[in-house]
Amino acid sequence: MLKTEVNELLTQTGPGTPAGNLFRQYWLPALHIEELPENDCPPVRVKILSERLIAFRDSEGRFGLMDEFCAHRGVSLWFGRVEEGGLRCAYHGWKYDVTGQCLEVPSEPENSNFCSKVQLTAYPLVKVGEILWTYMGDPANQPALPEFEFCDVPEEQTYTSKRWQESNWLQALEGGIDSSHVSWLHSGGLKSDPLFKGTKGNEYNLNDLRPFFEVAEADGGLFVGARRNAEDGKYYWRITPYVMPSFTIVPPRGDHPVHGHFWVPIDDENCWVYTFDYHPTRALTKDERQAMKDGYGVHSRNIPGTYRPQENKDVDYLMDREAQKRGETFSGVRGIAQQDASLQESMGPIVNREKERLVSSDTGIIKARQKLRKAVEALRDEGITPPGVDPAHQRVRSAAIVLPQAESFIDSARDAVAVQPGQAHVSV
Amino acid sequence: MIDSISSCARATTAEEARYRIDRPIAGRSARIIALDASAAQVVLRVAELPWGASKFYSDATAFDIEADLADADVAIMIATAAADAETASSIARACGERGIMTAGLVLGDLADVGDAVSALRPYARNLMVTEDEDDVAAVLIALRA
Repeated sequence: MLKTEVNELLTQTGPGTPAGNLFRQYWLPALHIEELPENDCPPVRVKILSERLIAFRDSEGRFGLMDEFCAHRGVSLWFGRVEEGGLRCAYHGWKYDVTGQCLEVPSEPENSNFCSKVQLTAYPLVKVGEILWTYMGDPANQPALPEFEFCDVPEEQTYTSKRWQESNWLQALEGGIDSSHVSWLHSGGLKSDPLFKGTKGNEYNLNDLRPFFEVAEADGGLFVGARRNAEDGKYYWRITPYVMPSFTIVPPRGDHPVHGHFWVPIDDENCWVYTFDYHPTRALTKDERQAMKDGYGVHSRNIPGTYRPQENKDVDYLMDREAQKRGETFSGVRGIAQQDASLQESMGPIVNREKERLVSSDTGIIKARQKLRKAVEALRDEGITPPGVDPAHQRVRSAAIVLPQAESFIDSARDAVAVQPGQAHVSV
Repeated sequence: MIDSISSCARATTAEEARYRIDRPIAGRSARIIALDASAAQVVLRVAELPWGASKFYSDATAFDIEADLADADVAIMIATAAADAETASSIARACGERGIMTAGLVLGDLADVGDAVSALRPYARNLMVTEDEDDVAAVLIALRA
């Protein structure tokens, strides 16, 4: 249970809101690089943190992200032309560069400097990995670029997809922290999904449906350990890092690539989900990459030309009751991503957390909310930079490991949950 | 009549959320037990907040397993650096026999509370290690204690 005022504090991320200010301390994924594939390509509408923006890539390859609407009459610059180092409004030809600075107002005299006084709000847009990241906060406090490992490995070792989720960001993130649902909702996928199946860890998962949970603080957020019984009196641990504000890495399975998510609020009732898979030491195989494109693993199968999953609410998520009855899928919805999204969207656009009935196995969610709340309040009241801004906080890994019962998961796995360039992840 | 809007699209709007049945939710009857002297101070402070059917024990030796677990839903053990593993074990065993969930909160820097974490790990199905005392109340509020 979360009181309404705290729920609103954490779920509202528009300009001027406390949680919106928190998100504006971080570099956030704004677009997939495939959306701006070449110089002078068409501009793209983007909404993040309840701000309507336009993204474009100019003739020199510079990326821009700025107010979607022309300063003149407020028309959308989506209709504009990307040409000769700027984006020109289709209505009267006003032209802007990637910093939002107006370069030309054609109706003014040739020697007028009026355009120098016209500036659209703009944010930096920088490619790191396959993602274009933006920072929407005070330029004076702009942090160093993100250093998540999935963005840092060679491109043949990583794959990122994107999907639209029709719910508030927080209920989506909470699904990533709550690993107790995996043995139920995703039980079908553990047996059959090409990016999951065939590992010893899956047997531990499916043989012990009542894991113990342990939550520990991390510099950038949390580590959530789920412990199940293994052989010879040992424990099988699955360790999920949560880096604030909205990044998680799923514990690995065997030598399969490692996957995770970054949730970015579009507005208070929608979010983007950036989903990645990477392998720290080898290229993804052709089959793995194809499986990711086909919506296996934690990726979605999107409607071509969009980021909307084919299994969406307008088609009842293509519910297949026969597959549910046969046990191929636990919920009747195909694919891990939309199994999660369908249930999280069913909560409503912003779930009323006063009505929930948490149990103690939800400790990870409780602690994550508490960390977010404290960070929001510390920023609002004292200007304290939140955890997760420092790139050092981002250099974490998930892990799956078998340990003697007496050993602490966080002590014994300290190296396993830190990025070790060139070394494989610790996985079972 | 054929409805062109899917069941899920219709059901997941904010408007439809207004029609969810508003049934009162009963709180959980929690037992909050301090396992060491520093934890006792925490438990005493938290106990001063308004709670429902939950009961607080700053002295684990005063915890009467038969009587105090009789109508409990969850037992939450609070520890700092010096948790009493024997007490944790006996409470957890009694909870296990009665089907009562166990949880543990260990307060302090992870580097300093390793012994307490080790003592509680076998017995607390859900264990949180935290430097923030406010997390005790946050967990209890979330559980409607």
